[in-house]
Amino acid sequence: MEISRTVTIENKLGLHARAATKLAQLAQGFEATVTIQQADKKANADSVMALLMLASNQGKDVTVIATGNEAKVAVDAICELISNKFDEDE
Amino acid sequence: MNLKLLLQPDCTKVIADCKSKKKILEHIAEIASAQLPNLSSIDILESLMNREKLGSTGIGNGIAIPHGRIKNSSKAVAVLLVTHKGVNYDAIDKRPVDIFFALLVPEDQCDTHLATLASIAKTFDNKDVLRKIRRAETDLDLYNIIEAA
Repeated sequence: MEISRTVTIENKLGLHARAATKLAQLAQGFEATVTIQQADKKANADSVMALLMLASNQGKDVTVIATGNEAKVAVDAICELISNKFDEDE
Repeated sequence: MNLKLLLQPDCTKVIADCKSKKKILEHIAEIASAQLPNLSSIDILESLMNREKLGSTGIGNGIAIPHGRIKNSSKAVAVLLVTHKGVNYDAIDKRPVDIFFALLVPEDQCDTHLATLASIAKTFDNKDVLRKIRRAETDLDLYNIIEAA
């Protein structure tokens, strides 16, 4: 079953290297295949390189899409990370 | 931002071997300081080290993107350093790193910085380019590979 949810990038720096690394590390921990989609661009959430290619800046909407046994928890956790500004101050 | 515009011919370097993450960053700081007359290589090294302390910039597949924000500068400077032997860099995939694309960017250029990171990722996502970079024997070879990518 596929689970997906759209969230807005809220931190000032957007999906920069450190944020992308956090996201990839989180995604790698789930038994799920996770994709991040922004407009017509899709990235494998396990790959920092792929995430950086999205160049998602503050205010952009991204959709977290997951399939697999832990698809729901993966989407929940990744959306929470993004909504919590990747634990950054601004 | 295009990598060709960011990388100056004097900013590519092939080295045989390097013992540690700190030594790699020292090399990079040394090369970058020639392009940034207002800053010493020690300042640049500190900026790069501070970023690594927040988490390794080793993004996987043997590639790292060490970077730092610099004050009182309007231009971004890039350094491409390649080592014949990989260095333990605490990368996300735990693999040693042999390609270092370092970036020193002016403070408060968030969107430009993201666009620059995206073009770095795009360039280094290309297996053909990676193979050529790993086979480069001279500093100029490296520069020409990026120029042609």
